[in-house]
Amino acid sequence: MSKKGNRRTDPKDKKCPYCEKNIKYIDWKDYPAMKPFIDYFGNIMKRYYTGVCLKHQKMLKNSVERARFMGMMAYRK
Amino acid sequence: MPELTEISEDVRIYEFCVLYPSNLSQKEESTLLKDVETLIEEQGGKQVSKDMWGKRGLAYRIKGNDEGNYVVYHYELDPSKIQELDESLRITKNVLRHMIVKPPKGYEITKFSASYETWLKERETEEDRRKKEKEARLAKQVADKAKRQVKKAAKVASEEKEEKPEADKKKISEELDKLISDDDLDI
Repeated sequence: MSKKGNRRTDPKDKKCPYCEKNIKYIDWKDYPAMKPFIDYFGNIMKRYYTGVCLKHQKMLKNSVERARFMGMMAYRK
Repeated sequence: MPELTEISEDVRIYEFCVLYPSNLSQKEESTLLKDVETLIEEQGGKQVSKDMWGKRGLAYRIKGNDEGNYVVYHYELDPSKIQELDESLRITKNVLRHMIVKPPKGYEITKFSASYETWLKERETEEDRRKKEKEARLAKQVADKAKRQVKKAAKVASEEKEEKPEADKKKISEELDKLISDDDLDI
């Protein structure tokens, strides 16, 4: 194995929090479900840091943008 | 809540959300809600659910409003009439924002008005708990540090005490030796 693979194990170790709960659809009205993946400034956090899978990250992006439009979430803090 | 199942092919379930300012009078509010409902029902919509969220703070100011009320409807509707409805909702007075979403298959209608409030309360308690934990940790750290310092001071003091007499003894013995070995000494 290469050295790089040994050193950076954390992103692979993380499991998608949505997949673990078996969530099929992230509702834009469900603020508590989206909140952990938003940083202080109101940006969606990178998949690298949260471990969300691509499928759910796209869903998350969709619902966060909807929530932002409706004034539930900030575009920029 | 029952799971959504579409009855026929030409009717789908749509989710309507309307945001209106919170400083409206009761009369204005009721007329606005009625307007929106009649608007959708005129197009042949059949109400499935209605959820009033009540007053909520907005993340940013919309047309001079810091607070707004949300209403979420679920309607059975013909897809071809959505565009028209979208246009007419845009023109409706006192509507700050509106959105029409087509929920995915197997979507369960949940009322977020109640769950949000419980979440708020839970979050407060959780924050309190975290604060307490942090304070306890800090207090422990301070206590540990104080203990360590006391120990260190005690150790240093004891070492000093032990060292001094030894040195004194050595000196005294050396001097005594010198005195004894001194030949010029006469007593």
